[in-house]
Amino acid sequence: MKATHEQIFIIPDVLDKAISEVDSCLVKNNSKLSIDFKNCQFISVDGLEWLEEILVRADSKNINVTFCNLKPEIYKVFKIARVDVILKAIGGQTDFAPFC
Amino acid sequence: MVSSLEKNDVGLDLKANYLARQARLASAVFTQYTQEKVDAIVKAMTIAAIEASPLLAQKAYQETKMGVVEDKILKNLVACEFLYNQVKDKKTVGEINVLVDENIVEIAEPVGVILALTPVTNPTSTVIFKSLACAKTRNSIIFSPHLMAADSSNLTAKIMYEAALSAGAPKGFIAWIEKSPRLRRQTELLMVHPDVDLIFATGGTQMVKAAHSSGKPALGVGAGNTPVYLHKSADIKASVNDIIISKTFDNGTECPSEQTLVIDEEVSDLVISEFKHLGCHVCSDSEIEKLGNIVVDGRNKTMNYKLVGQDAAFIAKQAGFDVAENTKILLCELKGNIQKHKLIVEKLMPVLGFVRVDTLENGINRCLDVNYAGGTGHTSGIFAKDENVIKLFTNSINAGRIIVNSPTSIGGLGGLYNNLNTTLSFGCGTGGGNITTDNVGIKNLLNIKRLPHRKNFSVIFKTTKQIYSNPGSLSYLKELNLKNPFIICSQNAVKRGIVNQVLDKLPSSSIANVFSQLTGEPDWPCVESALAKIKEASCDSIIAIGGGSVLDLAKIVRLFYDHPQLKLSEIAISFLDFRHRMCEFPNDLTTKLIAIPTTSGTGSEVTPFAVLKDNNKHVKLSLIDETLLPDVAIIDANLTLNLPESITKDTAFDALTHSLEALVSTFASDYTDGLALEAMRLIIEALPKVLKDPCSIVNRHKLHNAATLAGMAIGNASVGLNHAMAHSFGAVFDIPHGLANSVFLMTTLKYNSQIPNKFMAQSNYPQWIADLKYVRAFEYLGLYPELSISVDYTNESFETRQKLILGLRQKIYDFARSCNQPLSVEELGISAHDYEKQIPSLIQTTFMDMSLRTNPGYPLMKDIYKLYQESYPRRVRP
Repeated sequence: MKATHEQIFIIPDVLDKAISEVDSCLVKNNSKLSIDFKNCQFISVDGLEWLEEILVRADSKNINVTFCNLKPEIYKVFKIARVDVILKAIGGQTDFAPFC
Repeated sequence: MVSSLEKNDVGLDLKANYLARQARLASAVFTQYTQEKVDAIVKAMTIAAIEASPLLAQKAYQETKMGVVEDKILKNLVACEFLYNQVKDKKTVGEINVLVDENIVEIAEPVGVILALTPVTNPTSTVIFKSLACAKTRNSIIFSPHLMAADSSNLTAKIMYEAALSAGAPKGFIAWIEKSPRLRRQTELLMVHPDVDLIFATGGTQMVKAAHSSGKPALGVGAGNTPVYLHKSADIKASVNDIIISKTFDNGTECPSEQTLVIDEEVSDLVISEFKHLGCHVCSDSEIEKLGNIVVDGRNKTMNYKLVGQDAAFIAKQAGFDVAENTKILLCELKGNIQKHKLIVEKLMPVLGFVRVDTLENGINRCLDVNYAGGTGHTSGIFAKDENVIKLFTNSINAGRIIVNSPTSIGGLGGLYNNLNTTLSFGCGTGGGNITTDNVGIKNLLNIKRLPHRKNFSVIFKTTKQIYSNPGSLSYLKELNLKNPFIICSQNAVKRGIVNQVLDKLPSSSIANVFSQLTGEPDWPCVESALAKIKEASCDSIIAIGGGSVLDLAKIVRLFYDHPQLKLSEIAISFLDFRHRMCEFPNDLTTKLIAIPTTSGTGSEVTPFAVLKDNNKHVKLSLIDETLLPDVAIIDANLTLNLPESITKDTAFDALTHSLEALVSTFASDYTDGLALEAMRLIIEALPKVLKDPCSIVNRHKLHNAATLAGMAIGNASVGLNHAMAHSFGAVFDIPHGLANSVFLMTTLKYNSQIPNKFMAQSNYPQWIADLKYVRAFEYLGLYPELSISVDYTNESFETRQKLILGLRQKIYDFARSCNQPLSVEELGISAHDYEKQIPSLIQTTFMDMSLRTNPGYPLMKDIYKLYQESYPRRVRP
């Protein structure tokens, strides 16, 4: 049986590179990981790619990752970027075909 | 276009996915950028482009062997320096425009990922232009270069990208497809890629067509075929000079460049001689034949791309004749039916057709021949001093840009010769299969979000200017100094001696004419008859003495007397909202209208309404405009003393309906509420007393004032469902208006006091409050002591309100019964069969009646059906 420790990481105001603590956490096999965006004001392409990478890795290890305290500006970036795993992490669908 | 993945596309698909994904991430990240950050990136890119312009021009020429290096440098500079100058101060982030009058704010949103197709003719300048435009608008862009110019295009993209990146642009916002034999296929895959939002295609017709058929939104700009009219009024030397500059610019590779000149015969020799003088070669018939064979590809009747951007001497040599080495342009006279001439097509090289014309009409028609030979919607030009000629040409030609007295190629680019947007992409409108005729620019690369603030219309209270309201006020007529009044009245008013009373009150010098032919409600023949008389008498004023019908007739007669050109069918047309209606009433009536009501009901003396019966369609036409307001109203209760009981009751119930409907109208205001409530109180107080003692001047006076107060209320708040039903019903069964109103009163009072199935959409009626208004009426009338049900007054719940409204309904019922006023259709003696038969048509006319527009609830036709049904049986107390 897995432990249910939840690790919380607070993203800095600019997410433009990998955060080593989160990478380490994934290695340690915690079952829950919460990423808090309350301070995050800007996310770069590198930041998005890193998020995608950790989400893929977490998924392969059955680690549940949740995002919280997303500002609309950042949430919109996720919506427009249409990265499957990020859309899943914010509870959305990955089938983004427009309809009207 | 359907693009499926083929076996050997696997690698390409991965590449396409990579490019699209990078661009998509970048476009997402770009949404966070501020205007300042964007502008800094654009500035850095512009500097890089200016510095690289010579190098890129050289590379483009080396790769394509088209055009002139020096001109390509100029084009590159236009694409960066001119564009920068035009857009540097433009807002492209967030709130970009505030339309004060419309109360709308416009907000910019990037379109996302753009796939940009670039041409062989302008491979570097187009990339500079599109890169800058995308950076300014926070879009990502993937370039698909022309295969024959891929190296120079991609080098340009790289330079622009590196400059942008160093200024902080998102990684991957500019990307390009590498040169390879599979470039076209990769472009096709990207055209249908889900991560591409818009295709921005500049180039050959085939690529533009492919873009349009991809199913993606596309800005496709394509081929031109520019006709230029050289009118005899033009400055010949300057015109020829401009045309040479334009047609030789980059050896004619610019698609807006001149293709065929249409020259007025009168000046044609002078024109041709000037061309020769300045170094152009005028081809002989045989040379034209030879040129036609090589300039135009005989298979598809389009220009031979191998000659695009080559110089004149080279082209002549290829055709099999020699010209001087520095020859600027090969001029070819197109004779006969030019529509069938080989050289009528677009020729992106220094080969220029020309045709001589003997008239202005022929000149414009020949331009249209060229215009519709492959370049519809693109560009045209005219050289003329005569503004009328320019106007006629402009109206006739189908071109997104009509360049006047300037070179069409450099003129079309915008910025140098005029203030057109600088562009390398020329929208051709639907004529060229495009969505825009713009010089495509940043505006076309934004999704504009519009934030319209809710309209709050000004509430204006208007009524008759002068109102004399005491008994005996008829004597004020003397003070009005009417010289030649036209008196409109009913026969009854003559019989009752009222007209004589009026005549007595006029100054002795007045010459009055009397029209008393109205019986019942006015119709158009009656209006015409009155108009004939008033015209004959040339009257300076109208005195209307009578009930609502007489007053309405007078309003309409005055309108058509002052403005005989008006058409009844136009001014009586129905409308949804009077502020947006299509018909316009004149506002300069000069004939004075004095309204003297002899009944206490309609309030027409203070309303902007007039109703006219349409005998053919059995409907009532409502004319509504403040122009119809009388100038003077004389509310003299003495004139009502002899009113028969039935008319006294019917008209009083009309006024009561006015007050009840104005109170809950969606246009009601504090002003109209006060009038409606007081009118209601006066009617309930005075009518029973008048019925008991018809000669009681005090109570007649109260009733008379009540009708005018209610008239002012509906004159500004309008009426509602009850009137819509009464108009329809009254017209079909020929029931007097007040009586028709009273039979629906209990039905509509109940209907409007309940939460409607559908609310009325009115911006100035944000909340349904009809029930509160009825409660206010209950309170104003002081009905608490009469309430037969137990109510907790301190509790303001919906249930409490409904109980109080029930009290009001009971009061209205009791009041009507005490006056012996019919309250249902059955009580009028109409058979159920006759009534049922008419209900379908009544529903239609009720729904279309303008009175319905201000009702607090929006009844659907099925609701109206029920309301008509409920209104038939004899009423019982609620």
